[in-house]
Amino acid sequence: MFINFFYSLRDHGIPVSPTSFLRFHKALNTGQVLSLKDLYTVARSTLVKSERYFDSYDQIFAHYFEGAEMPPITDLELDEIARALLEEWLKNPAQMADALGIDESKLRKYTPEELIQYFLDRLKEQTKEHHGGDRWIGTGGTSPVGHSGVHPGGMRVGGSGGGMSAIKVALERRYRDYSQQGPLTQSQIGEALKKLRRLVPSGPRDVVNIDKTIYETMRNAGEIEIVFDKRLKDRLKIILMIDNGGWSMDPYVHIVQVLFDYARDQFKELKTYFFHNTIYEQVWEDHTRYKKPQKIITFPNKDPESRIVIVGDASMAPYELMYESGSIYFEEKKSKASIDNLKFLAKTFRHVVWLNPRPLNQWSHTWTTEAIQEVFPMFELTLDGLDKAVNYLMLRN
Amino acid sequence: MSENNSFQKFRGASKYVLDEELAKIVNVSMALEMPLLLKGEPGTGKTMLAHAIAENLAMPLISLNVKSSMKLVDALYQYDTLTRLNDSRFGDSTRDVSNIEDYIRMGKIGQAFVSDVRTVLLIDEIDKADTDFQDDMLDILDQMEFDIMEIDKTVKAKNRPVIIITSNAKKDLSDPFLGRCNFHHIAFPDTDMMKRIIAVHFPKLDQEVADACIEAFYRFRRVDGIEKKPATRELINWIRALKADPDFDISSLSRGDVPYLGVFFKKSTDLAMASKMIARSQN
Repeated sequence: MFINFFYSLRDHGIPVSPTSFLRFHKALNTGQVLSLKDLYTVARSTLVKSERYFDSYDQIFAHYFEGAEMPPITDLELDEIARALLEEWLKNPAQMADALGIDESKLRKYTPEELIQYFLDRLKEQTKEHHGGDRWIGTGGTSPVGHSGVHPGGMRVGGSGGGMSAIKVALERRYRDYSQQGPLTQSQIGEALKKLRRLVPSGPRDVVNIDKTIYETMRNAGEIEIVFDKRLKDRLKIILMIDNGGWSMDPYVHIVQVLFDYARDQFKELKTYFFHNTIYEQVWEDHTRYKKPQKIITFPNKDPESRIVIVGDASMAPYELMYESGSIYFEEKKSKASIDNLKFLAKTFRHVVWLNPRPLNQWSHTWTTEAIQEVFPMFELTLDGLDKAVNYLMLRN
Repeated sequence: MSENNSFQKFRGASKYVLDEELAKIVNVSMALEMPLLLKGEPGTGKTMLAHAIAENLAMPLISLNVKSSMKLVDALYQYDTLTRLNDSRFGDSTRDVSNIEDYIRMGKIGQAFVSDVRTVLLIDEIDKADTDFQDDMLDILDQMEFDIMEIDKTVKAKNRPVIIITSNAKKDLSDPFLGRCNFHHIAFPDTDMMKRIIAVHFPKLDQEVADACIEAFYRFRRVDGIEKKPATRELINWIRALKADPDFDISSLSRGDVPYLGVFFKKSTDLAMASKMIARSQN
């Protein structure tokens, strides 16, 4: 039962495992599933393991059990289906005619082209009026379970006020917000940053170190000597440097800042600096890059265990990066080449990453991006890239 | 489990408004003997559900609050070496120092296993622990037994507990973990549901007041750019605060005058934003 439903879920990218499918059948046998609504609920709780897929599930469920329109069916897809139908037809006209509820002899007169047109018309009719009843198009065996018997009786849900049918519930698409295609939110990214921590002992000595206690007690000839340790606490320092010059970075500045702020309480210290395009003599604490400069030269005073995260698109004119006095700002003219400053940072701190909001496949188009990649490991500013960057930052060496 | 368990069905408890969908999922999970993993915004009643199940089925509730530093063995049992050391030195207790078993204490999962009656085991905020903890724990909950290494003894569950696991994480747990759980995501309640929830918590509250409060609440949830949206918990606390205030007048709410904003917004930026919105609406 429901094999097609199972594959339908899989085809739409919901990771449904065979084990959970078996478990779903076990659930059917518990006598708990009495209505289509129950089926909807139980199938979802056993098969779908993340709210991100609830939306897809709703659509597939509605489609499968009620023949609701499966959005989006494009004309191209319709063509495909019609063509497939034609093939079926040519193989076995009698059976198809039977399945479609049409007169075989009538269609026999049609040319293949006419047939395709006929199928297309029927298909379009189908997508428009999905409650038409005779869902004859190969939508994977919809009708046997969907409409018969179960549907009317068990639909209403007692007690919850305005109970809705499973199909209605499914069609509502309540979980659209959680769908994977939704935009990246702060909390999603905060999750990736959670890994970014380093536990070191700190605070009062209030945890008993058992091994040491036993050792010390034995040394003390059995007189008990309890040894206390400090608790492990997260003491990671983060230095965040953001390229906030130029429109190319504008959409990302805020989100990056917010996301690290969001995770602020898990770090001992979070310092944010700003720069434009690349780093010369100094970076700034204020986003106007004017009031509070901080010389790169002074950075070695900071904890060398600090993790440095640089966010920027790494795209600029090559001379900005490579030439001495390459800065586009006049007052910075007398400086080392920016690339040397970057190398200096890379040498001073063991853990530096560069996050690039531009997609990976564009990196090789910009010469400076590749040059910077040679200095720092570079990751995409996506959930995935962030994850990798965090993993890199947490490497021991 | 035994026959009569199948008749133990969960129907909701006195302080918990259950939607039918969730009740069905709880019942199926119990029938399948599978842990139920609950996700959802903070304040949607994930933890409350376990309390409600325990109350409804008259089972004791054992809750394990997961911490990031927690090791799995802590949740199973503890070997109290220090007491043993102390006893061996002073020897003034009734415990037998040569018998290690006297110094084994059950952790929360262990307690649920050795309990003579079926229990509800709530594993709260599983996402705090690392993946190994999660997977290993599910192994144990699958097999319903664990070994106490120190005394080489296997503890088997006398009764399979009803297991409720909650997670706040937006990120998914590991696949093997998810494979062994039933899953439900508690969506934020809509206005009608919220009215019923409030009615359960404040049976004597005037309908008009309740509606006005709920309306104000949803208005605040819609404020753009709020980082931590107020949840059911905040609404209940807020109404409690309003009730305690003798000067509170319901008509002030409709004028856009909202007292105790701090109950709703726990972050200063959010609070500032909300006050700004109120000031705007008053002008």
